[in-house]
Amino acid sequence: MRAFLIRRLLQAIPILLGVTALTFLLLQLAPGDVLSQFSQNPTIAAETLDSMRHRFGLDRPWYVQYLLYLRNVALRLDFGESFTRHQPVFAVIREGLGNTLLLSGAAALITWGLAIPLGAWAAARRGRRVDRLLTALASVGLAVPELLSGLLLLLIAARTGWFPVGGMHEAGWERLGWWARGVDVLRHLALPALVVGLVPLAARMRQMRAQLLDTLHQDYITAARARGLSETRVLFRHALRNALNPMITLFGLTLGALVSGSFVAEVVFSWPGLGRITMEALLAEDRYLVMGAVLMSTVVLTAGNLVADLLLAVAEPRLRDG
Amino acid sequence: MPVPGVARASARVVAITLFAGALAGCGSGERSAAVPRNQHALPPDTMTVDAAELGDYGGRFRIVETSGPRTFNAFLANDQPTNDVTNRLFIGLTEFDNFTQQTVPSLARSWEHAPDGRTWTFHLRRGACFSDGHPLTADDVLFSFAVIYDDSLHPSVQDLMKVNGQKFELSAPDSYTVVIRAAGSLAIFPTLVGAVRIMPKHVLEAAWKRGAMASSYGLATPPEQVVTSGAWKLERFEPGVRTILGPNPYWFGVDRRGRRLPYLDQLLFEIVPDQNTASLKFEAGDVDAVDNVRPEDYGLYERRAQAGNFTVYDIGPSLISNFFWFNLNRVATPSAGHRVGDPVVGAIRYAWFSNPTFRRAVSKAIDRQAIIRGPLFGYGFENWSTMTEGSREWFTPSVRGDDYDPEGARRLLAGLGFRDRDGDGVLEDAARNPVSFTLKTNGDSQIRIATSDLIRDDLAKVGIRVTLSQVDIKTLVTNFRSDFDYEALLLGLGSAVPSDPAMAGNFYRSSGATHYWNVRQRNPATEAEREIDSLFEIHADTLDAAVRHATWTRIQNLLNQQCFVVWLPSQMMKLPARNGFGNLRPVALPHRLLWNIDRVFVRRRS
Repeated sequence: MRAFLIRRLLQAIPILLGVTALTFLLLQLAPGDVLSQFSQNPTIAAETLDSMRHRFGLDRPWYVQYLLYLRNVALRLDFGESFTRHQPVFAVIREGLGNTLLLSGAAALITWGLAIPLGAWAAARRGRRVDRLLTALASVGLAVPELLSGLLLLLIAARTGWFPVGGMHEAGWERLGWWARGVDVLRHLALPALVVGLVPLAARMRQMRAQLLDTLHQDYITAARARGLSETRVLFRHALRNALNPMITLFGLTLGALVSGSFVAEVVFSWPGLGRITMEALLAEDRYLVMGAVLMSTVVLTAGNLVADLLLAVAEPRLRDG
Repeated sequence: MPVPGVARASARVVAITLFAGALAGCGSGERSAAVPRNQHALPPDTMTVDAAELGDYGGRFRIVETSGPRTFNAFLANDQPTNDVTNRLFIGLTEFDNFTQQTVPSLARSWEHAPDGRTWTFHLRRGACFSDGHPLTADDVLFSFAVIYDDSLHPSVQDLMKVNGQKFELSAPDSYTVVIRAAGSLAIFPTLVGAVRIMPKHVLEAAWKRGAMASSYGLATPPEQVVTSGAWKLERFEPGVRTILGPNPYWFGVDRRGRRLPYLDQLLFEIVPDQNTASLKFEAGDVDAVDNVRPEDYGLYERRAQAGNFTVYDIGPSLISNFFWFNLNRVATPSAGHRVGDPVVGAIRYAWFSNPTFRRAVSKAIDRQAIIRGPLFGYGFENWSTMTEGSREWFTPSVRGDDYDPEGARRLLAGLGFRDRDGDGVLEDAARNPVSFTLKTNGDSQIRIATSDLIRDDLAKVGIRVTLSQVDIKTLVTNFRSDFDYEALLLGLGSAVPSDPAMAGNFYRSSGATHYWNVRQRNPATEAEREIDSLFEIHADTLDAAVRHATWTRIQNLLNQQCFVVWLPSQMMKLPARNGFGNLRPVALPHRLLWNIDRVFVRRRS
């Protein structure tokens, strides 16, 4: 098991190197830089911009900048400083990461909390009206882009006043009691979590349905039925538990998307997470902040995949040795 | 007869007495979470703020921003969202009144200049304090200027604080007097020095000395550690969500009754990703005003105003001018097929573009009323200068350019020898080159794209073929700043605050980096530019208002006779704000809503 773990960790190094190099190169190729936004301001002299460019190290060749960046990250865990926020990149990312994890965690809860019972229900009622209805709904959910559903929900929130229009909590939130705070965050969380959660719902539900149908065709289920067990008992005690096993592995795989899956919703709903930070940093060409955010997403993705593999390895010892 | 020495000595005694009294007015630095305004005594030298109505304390005002502040360090503030916050937190020696468009006292209660116009003396308010109760004196002013003159930091405001490339010399004869000496006279001197925000020496000097100024007062600084000089102090910052300001309990601004301002308990900046969400937030009642509204949405807001309990304020002509220009730059660094000194656009196009008659013909071909009716939805006005009708002092009604006259355009083009020789509807020059060019603008502005469409159609009618090109704003900036990869480029230019032509030196001077059509010239390329350069020097230096106006009119006329830029209409501005606020007076000059927020109050419901 240890060898497996070490091998996987070593494999992560070229991935991280590749991702950072590619990001750096793309940022380099993009027109302008972080100071372009000031170029139109007639009150800022060209010399000032040159001096800022020098201070940020942007006047050096890109490969020198990249190698310096790698050295700082590898040797000192120094991710650089955000040009626009005058703050260490790590501090900015840490501030957004927690919020992103809260959002994607809530979304995952919605996805899995609905996918498993609905998928099981559809399988148990295969070919009937419920099954067809759920299939149709799933197709719609799959077809509507996240951006559109987000904007529609925002519009509904603004017109009805049932939910807040974006943000993470009300002003004055810090003076509320812990219960009221929780309720306030939940109210703000509901719509973005719904939008993020509904995207993979259709696929997960169909997978659950297929798994359960598969299991229901196994010999031991036929045997259970032949023994005269009730259909409910067959379904819950025997079929469902076995059908869930592959779903657990699938769950591990989705861990990797926890950070990157909610970027669109964060921007639409003004959710102060890593997605918004990355988006703003990209638009401003705040180089090291973009690098940091991409690096963080990659680390979480790689770690998520590793966890999924570990889960699988626990279930399937052959993989560890292969 | 008074003996000068004695008079000076007694003046010193008075000064010391007043200083001691002033110090007594400052507290010992205790902070309170609530918002009592009378907890600390008012200083001897209060600033009575002129406001239409007397208000009551309490309530809050919520505004949206499409981006949060980048720092709370006023020296490093470069972008609008940051300035919107730091300009509330920190004051300058003077302030600019956005409504009257005049410079008004702030930390300096008065000022005067020596006859040579180079030495200015500012008299500070006695007893002014920072938000922690520490006295705010001439030392802090000297410190703030020293920081902005620090070349290792080089804040952008430094460029404004120079005359003939030389920094000002500052001295403080006493705690409440600052003398600033410039290398030459400067017309807008008192207005200009207001751009340097006064930050606390007692808090920041140590950080500055160890080279940590750039990271001081960053976003991670606990709010209570951000010691401010303005009417507001930082109460809370939630990254990516909102910034909350509260009243500075030591502020020296008072209303006519002598009650300390600001009236509001809180000023909130809610951060949203874009204008659409801003509109939704306003509609949902989550914010009290929207600062930036597209003309196509004016009607929508007006229809909903009554039901939504808000007013759509007509704030008049925008101070943003719109125009396009032809690329007259020459190659600075050699590359394949381009020698240094060659016109960037090639010899053929340069021959057309550099001819004022060609530029005037283009200007005459454009139907500006159609642009007002179309992309501006009827909310526009013709404009012929960087100082639009929105500028109270510097708008010059007599200044006009070549307006819509397609026949006149055809005549001018025919006079250049341009004829449609092959009958394809496009003119050719004497060497049979079809007269065509590419017009570039940024693709994220619907108004500019629609305007470009109309320009193409108008020019087609006089036989000039225009190809449109849209790129993102960063590419566009690179194009007009450094690689000059364009033929004609459409852009807007916002007025600086204060709205004074002297602030736009980079645009008018041939050596300027935003002298768009031909940037950073070593020597003026044309006689007209040489004349504009020398007129601009007089305009910027002299303290004589009549001379300033005369030179300004001449500069504008010269620019328009040469048609260096082809002017396009500007926008009439409207913005919605919720009812129930007293003294709210939105204006066209940014910040449109917050410029007088210290005196805005929530009306009691009757």
